[in-house]
Amino acid sequence: MHVDLQGPWSPLLGRLTLGAIPYTNPILIGTFIFAATIALIVVGTVLYFRKLPYLWREWLTTVDHKKIGVMYILVGLVMLFRGFIDGVMMRTQQVLADGPHSAGYLGAAHGYLPPYHFDQVYSAHGTIMLIFAVTPILAGLGNIIVPLQIGARDMAFPYLNAVSLWLTVAGAALVMVSLFVGDFSNAAWVGLMPLAELPYNPGVGVDYWMWALQIASIGTTFNAINIIVTIVKMRAPGMGWFRLPVFTWTMLSTNIIGLTAFPVLTVALALLGADRYLGTHFFTAGLGGNFMLYIDLFWIWGHPEVYFLMLPAFGVFSEVIPTFSEKPLFGYITMVAATFAIAGIGWSVWAHHFFTMGLAPNSIAFFSAATMLVGIPTGVKAFNWLFTMYRGRLTITTPMLWSITGIVLLLVGGLTGMMLSAPAIDYTVHNSVFVVAHFHCMVLAISAGIFSAVVYWWPKVFGFKLDERNGLAFYWAFVIGSVLVFVPMFGLGLAGETRRLDYLYDPQWMPLLIAEEVGIGFYFLSVLFFLRMLYVSLRDRVPAKGDAWETGRTLEWMTHTPVPFYNFAVTPQVHSRDELAWRRANGLEEAKPDRYVPIHMPSNTGVPVIIGLLAAAFGFGLIWRIWWLSGVSLLAIMVLVIIRSFNKNEGYILTAAEIEAMENKIETASVIAEQPKRLPLSEVEAH
Amino acid sequence: MNLRFLRYFGLCAPLLMLGGCSTDVFRLFHPTGPVADAEYRYTLILVGVMMLIILPTLALTIIFPLRYRKARKAAYAPDWSHSLGIEIAAWGVPFLITAVLIYYSFNGIYAVNPYNPKILDSAASTATAPLKVDVISTDWQWLFIYPDQHIATIDDLVVPAGRRVDLRLTSTSVMNAFYIPQVAAMMDAMPAMYTKDAFLVNKPGTFTGFSGEFSGAGFSWMHFATRVVPTADFENWVNQVQASPKQLDYTAFQKLAQPTVNIGAKPSYFSHVAPGLFDKVVQAAMHGVVYNVPDSLTKGVADDEGKAGAKAPAHS
Repeated sequence: MHVDLQGPWSPLLGRLTLGAIPYTNPILIGTFIFAATIALIVVGTVLYFRKLPYLWREWLTTVDHKKIGVMYILVGLVMLFRGFIDGVMMRTQQVLADGPHSAGYLGAAHGYLPPYHFDQVYSAHGTIMLIFAVTPILAGLGNIIVPLQIGARDMAFPYLNAVSLWLTVAGAALVMVSLFVGDFSNAAWVGLMPLAELPYNPGVGVDYWMWALQIASIGTTFNAINIIVTIVKMRAPGMGWFRLPVFTWTMLSTNIIGLTAFPVLTVALALLGADRYLGTHFFTAGLGGNFMLYIDLFWIWGHPEVYFLMLPAFGVFSEVIPTFSEKPLFGYITMVAATFAIAGIGWSVWAHHFFTMGLAPNSIAFFSAATMLVGIPTGVKAFNWLFTMYRGRLTITTPMLWSITGIVLLLVGGLTGMMLSAPAIDYTVHNSVFVVAHFHCMVLAISAGIFSAVVYWWPKVFGFKLDERNGLAFYWAFVIGSVLVFVPMFGLGLAGETRRLDYLYDPQWMPLLIAEEVGIGFYFLSVLFFLRMLYVSLRDRVPAKGDAWETGRTLEWMTHTPVPFYNFAVTPQVHSRDELAWRRANGLEEAKPDRYVPIHMPSNTGVPVIIGLLAAAFGFGLIWRIWWLSGVSLLAIMVLVIIRSFNKNEGYILTAAEIEAMENKIETASVIAEQPKRLPLSEVEAH
Repeated sequence: MNLRFLRYFGLCAPLLMLGGCSTDVFRLFHPTGPVADAEYRYTLILVGVMMLIILPTLALTIIFPLRYRKARKAAYAPDWSHSLGIEIAAWGVPFLITAVLIYYSFNGIYAVNPYNPKILDSAASTATAPLKVDVISTDWQWLFIYPDQHIATIDDLVVPAGRRVDLRLTSTSVMNAFYIPQVAAMMDAMPAMYTKDAFLVNKPGTFTGFSGEFSGAGFSWMHFATRVVPTADFENWVNQVQASPKQLDYTAFQKLAQPTVNIGAKPSYFSHVAPGLFDKVVQAAMHGVVYNVPDSLTKGVADDEGKAGAKAPAHS
């Protein structure tokens, strides 16, 4: 023990005591009952239908990029719901705790959440939404779509892909565990420094935040490597750089950001870890420490991270709008240029997060100008989407509605973002809820991209479309909710409400707070419609065609729906930027290959999921300072990785005859169909 | 409704409809003093310039999907995907708008630079020297030291009208942000270093200040009164505080800086403030003095809140 800790510590259980379990808090008991019920239903269903072997063989041990993508998105949606509930709690607290005469419940002076609880809720909301909801969902989309769009069999490193997924899940699991064992951080999703240091945060909250983020971001870095290599090395013959679909372009640029930015976060968190565990002074205020260094490092990662999330959404708009306009994307080359311009400029704007920190005017001028420059390529993108619709033949489906909404949100978010990038304005609204409303506009644009993508590509994976009527209801409830929550929030920002308040000083804010609460109600409705959309679609399962929307333009719509686990029976030859549109124009869309060739497929493996479990145990051990647990887990991970590296004959062969048989009875090849066990290469050779 | 309201109508109309009340709520629409006035002016200019591009784009985003729906059988150009003219405009127009925005942003930076606002050079009369106030944020109160008057207050900032106020800010523990929405630029108060801010208010008035940067359990109660009073009243007030029985040297300060949730932001007043106290606090933080927040306080703050002004157990 190099640092002074408050409270007891034992070699066996570290800092963990019975007191860490909040069994006296009625809110958490309710949450626990809810979570336990859901878990029991899921586990019970799996056991009742004897699906455990299926689950293990086909999902938990899979290295198939589509299944990994689906699991990424599933984890993301669960966390999105958790983050949403956090949002509901925050809004409800603020509407109850406005003004000195507001009543208090459940032991709080105002509202129903005491500050310490409220602070954890808002910290969890930010961390979860950005790192454990949006990031996994976008990683999942990239996983599913990128190999299909470039005509590849799988990702470049299928095994590493599964490791990335399970590391992300390990991080998410730690965040969830913090609900019921100990506390979460109260120092915001950014880790406010020096507030996150031991003297001000003696509990385990910051440790939960730090290790969850650390483990998940290592997964994200691996995933970035994987997608970059896949795009660079595994494009189908004929697919030159300027035939790459724009979604793939954005995934490339976004993951270049990911690969270069996430290590900065890893280092910043590691140094914070040294402060909290070893008693160093990297980010303390005194004794040679410099907490501004942390703030710099965090935002050097954090601002590129914003574009890391934004660019894939741009990619989605660039796929959905041409498909439903029945026209090629307007200005393809400038679109690609704009994508990389945003990714590049995104690296030189980080200091705009702290204009109020006493930076010299000349430095501020640089960062203000750099930030404003982002507006140029973003504007170009908006115009290109608009002129894609111009003289098109538009079918307004829900994916299209989401994409158009995304453009509108981008305009509002862009307007307010440009305002904030001018220091003269920033000095008046920095750290107010105006900023919160601004970046929620951006995140909502990302959500619009996500929902657009989910509806658009759903049939490719599952073979049927999502129900349009409930999808529309979901859309409208979500849009109305967004307007009601975030327009008043802009107002509250102009009224001087600062961020992260658990008690509001000014009773005059009440009408706006009530409007926000009504908006939250509409969000609740949208969740119900979303679930109903899933239910109705799963119940009806109307089969979709290979080219599910009939106006698809890119490679992924050329293969079967649902997509076979080997993606393409024969690697396609690419002739044009919009290959499917080109084939349709030339009457080749129904062409069948004249012969099949054997395919080398990767074998499933249980190693990644076990690494994920061990990583979660490693993190849990560090959080509670149970040194033996961390040590054993880390050692086990290292041993597993070494053993696995001796497996030289990875994968198995699908013979031409097998492929032909499956192509003629395509439902047997579907990614969600149960597959017979196939002998791995090493055993085939032994025979 | 006065004429001023009409000027702002474009900005706040939708908010008003939702708020259903007067614009008084929206503090930032009522800037007071040259600094805030300038900030507000830049807000209007920048928003105005941006509207030149945002509004037409928004219109197109709505018109195109309506006009080119399949059912309407409008003109259809299935292969049209390139036009040099449009692409030059798509880069050129945002470029021009951004150039104008950057120009105004640069002007604004130097005009309201909190360390040395150019706008105050012309506004302030040179007859009176600026009033110096040293601001220290603790967990979770604001201490305002008037070094030349040898007085200090907690959560009550009183300044004379028509005189420039120069602030130095630091913190004993974690970061806070000094923020009086319609008066002064937001500026962070940080431990082991100091930042500066300046403002001037010409007419007497009362404002509320806040902390803009989350600092822990007592953060929500870190609001403070800001009273701008006529010069004569200010002198009287100073005399009164100078007679206050409570005195403030470094030892007394260390007690005061212990984590305290000041419910209702109740003010206190001190006389005979030790000279150089502000510098000593900055130095101490550099040398590693911290005011630990006990785990019990962060967790138990809910229970103690009911009893107003719960004090933390001394602990360091």
